[in-house]
Amino acid sequence: MPFLTFAFYVASAAAYAAHFARRDRRSGQLATALLVAATVAHTFLIGMARMQAGYMPVVGTTAAISFFVWLLALAYLYTEITTEERAMGAFITPLLALLQLIPALDAGAPGARPAVLESPLFAVHVSSVLFAYASFALACMIGVTYVLLFKEIKAKHLGFFYARLPSLQVLDKMNMRAVRIGWTFLTIGVVIGAVWALTADVKASSDPRAQAMSVLDPKIFVALVSWALYSFQLLARRAMRWGARRSAWLSAIGFVVVLLNFLPVGYFLTKSHNF
Amino acid sequence: MHLLLLGVSHRTAPVELRERVDFARRGVAAAHEALAARPGLAETVVLSTCNRSEVYVACARPEETAAELARFMAAFHEVPDAELEPHVFRLVDGEVASHLFRVAAGLDSLVVGEPQILGQVKEAYAAATAGRRTGPLLNRLFHASFTVGKRVRSQTGLGEGAVSVSYAAVSLARKIFGDLSGLNVLILGAGEMAKLTAIHLQAQNVRKVVVASRTLQSAELLASRIGGEAIEWSAVDAGLAGSAIVITATGATTPVLTRDRIRAAMRRRGDHPLFVIDIALPRDVEPGAGELDQVFLYNIDDLRAIVHENLARRAAELERAEAIVSQEVAQYEQWLRSRGAVPTVVALRRRFEDIRLAELERLEGKLSGLPPEAKERVDEITHLIVEKLLLTPTEQLKAAHDEKAVVTYSDVLNRLFGLGAADTGRRCEAREDGDKDEDPGSSGGGSAS
Repeated sequence: MPFLTFAFYVASAAAYAAHFARRDRRSGQLATALLVAATVAHTFLIGMARMQAGYMPVVGTTAAISFFVWLLALAYLYTEITTEERAMGAFITPLLALLQLIPALDAGAPGARPAVLESPLFAVHVSSVLFAYASFALACMIGVTYVLLFKEIKAKHLGFFYARLPSLQVLDKMNMRAVRIGWTFLTIGVVIGAVWALTADVKASSDPRAQAMSVLDPKIFVALVSWALYSFQLLARRAMRWGARRSAWLSAIGFVVVLLNFLPVGYFLTKSHNF
Repeated sequence: MHLLLLGVSHRTAPVELRERVDFARRGVAAAHEALAARPGLAETVVLSTCNRSEVYVACARPEETAAELARFMAAFHEVPDAELEPHVFRLVDGEVASHLFRVAAGLDSLVVGEPQILGQVKEAYAAATAGRRTGPLLNRLFHASFTVGKRVRSQTGLGEGAVSVSYAAVSLARKIFGDLSGLNVLILGAGEMAKLTAIHLQAQNVRKVVVASRTLQSAELLASRIGGEAIEWSAVDAGLAGSAIVITATGATTPVLTRDRIRAAMRRRGDHPLFVIDIALPRDVEPGAGELDQVFLYNIDDLRAIVHENLARRAAELERAEAIVSQEVAQYEQWLRSRGAVPTVVALRRRFEDIRLAELERLEGKLSGLPPEAKERVDEITHLIVEKLLLTPTEQLKAAHDEKAVVTYSDVLNRLFGLGAADTGRRCEAREDGDKDEDPGSSGGGSAS
């Protein structure tokens, strides 16, 4: 099942790429159908893990990645259906396929949950942060396409992207919406995480990870950096009258920081979040 | 039956003559009525656009009918025969299919790939069917042409990209702003090009068009012609801050909009994108203004380059479009030829069936002792044998490559089985409509249990 899910993501990425190149309706419908299939298989996968473990299967970076991919796929499908715009799929689905490779290769059954995570706040904290990351991923891809299209129009060379992407205005709106949603959920996730870390249960825990919960822990620190970055983006747009192009760049760069935090920091550097 | 086409198009006649033979002047319905009164025209469709006036006909004798049609064209449009004749082109059978398919695909249009023509072909066909002027040949022909039009549009890039300067400007504006409704347009100068582009933009439901010119009178004149609003030249800076699209077309010799002036306007408008179309020569906008962050500056040469590129891209798609046309023409011709074999096929089947029934009748006495189910089975088996025997000859006849082969096969079959030519001819007439239902060979073996 993990491999089937991964295979569906790969197939949908290929179909979205083909649709982006050829722009015919049939390949577009096939791409959407494959992505829906991947999401359904993935939902099943996560549901099974949930049943097996008895809690939200998001303990550990690998499980979190799988959950993140699932959320991103859902968020993208929602965007595609509401905007009737498939072009972005060619940028999102390769990311989905690439990230899903990790859980596909390392799909160990969920073990027992560490005692310190046995809190109702656990699910809320993790899922809101992951949902924020999914929104930022979407914003990043939208930002990249904005910059590509912007460059073509500025350079007066109307080619590949001009024929395939929606207008700059639409891309900008989609970008800002994704960033606002992401920022809101990241704020919720961080605040809940902080409140939870300060509760007596965690403070009293002998778990070394609970002891490492501090602003200086790489994972928490980089998360706060990305929160500051997105806060600045929203502020710059509103108060400093930064244009759409700069917002697009910030979205593209912001997700690099998020991804950095998610993968290398999550796997190798953090001492507080290595569950 | 043959296909025949007589017509006048932008390739064969000047616009003065095309105007005079435009069927729309007296109405296509009137043309159909007049055509119905003429002899020899089994089916007709009249296609009339500003670039072509064509009559598609199915007839038995193309030579005579062509002369009849030429007389009709001259009489109906009241143009002397001698004047019209050199500009009329005449096509038959496969050529007609090829021509109509190319027309429907936009390959024969003045601007290759323009999309309206397919709709016009559909309207022409609808008008003919409404007057009950079409039959199997033209029905099939026109439906095939719709398929060609759709395939060319969806499978090639023939209709893509703006091919006029004004439309290129509009399509750029749409790529920058998406929906143009709610946007203001500022026009500097009162030239013809400015007017044309403004009219294209207005078709996109922009909120307001504001015109400024050196004199308020000329601004007011253009504004009244395009339903806009005139402002004083001194109010241009305010107009710049309040508009998303600016078209400049003044006769000024030095740039009217300098980089600094636009930069100041951008500050006032909170860095919202500004699309500046400079169609003046010499240019009205300092080129450096295009480097400002949210300013998109295009001059007339840039727009022309886009049009040029789009035309080149369309030309590159021509080959693929022509391939689709040839494919569909081959299919239609194949069908047309298979129709030539129909009378022989029908006669052959009739002959076999007659023999079968006669033999059954002859054996009636011997079979009378059998129970009813067994008798039914005998009937069924003999029927099946006949169907099986006829299957290959029927397929071969219908798949014959050319007219000559069809004639040869038919001739041989007529002689070998003594079918009789008169008989086959009569049946052909009877089968003109709905030959699908009676298609010989396609229903064979259906009763096998």
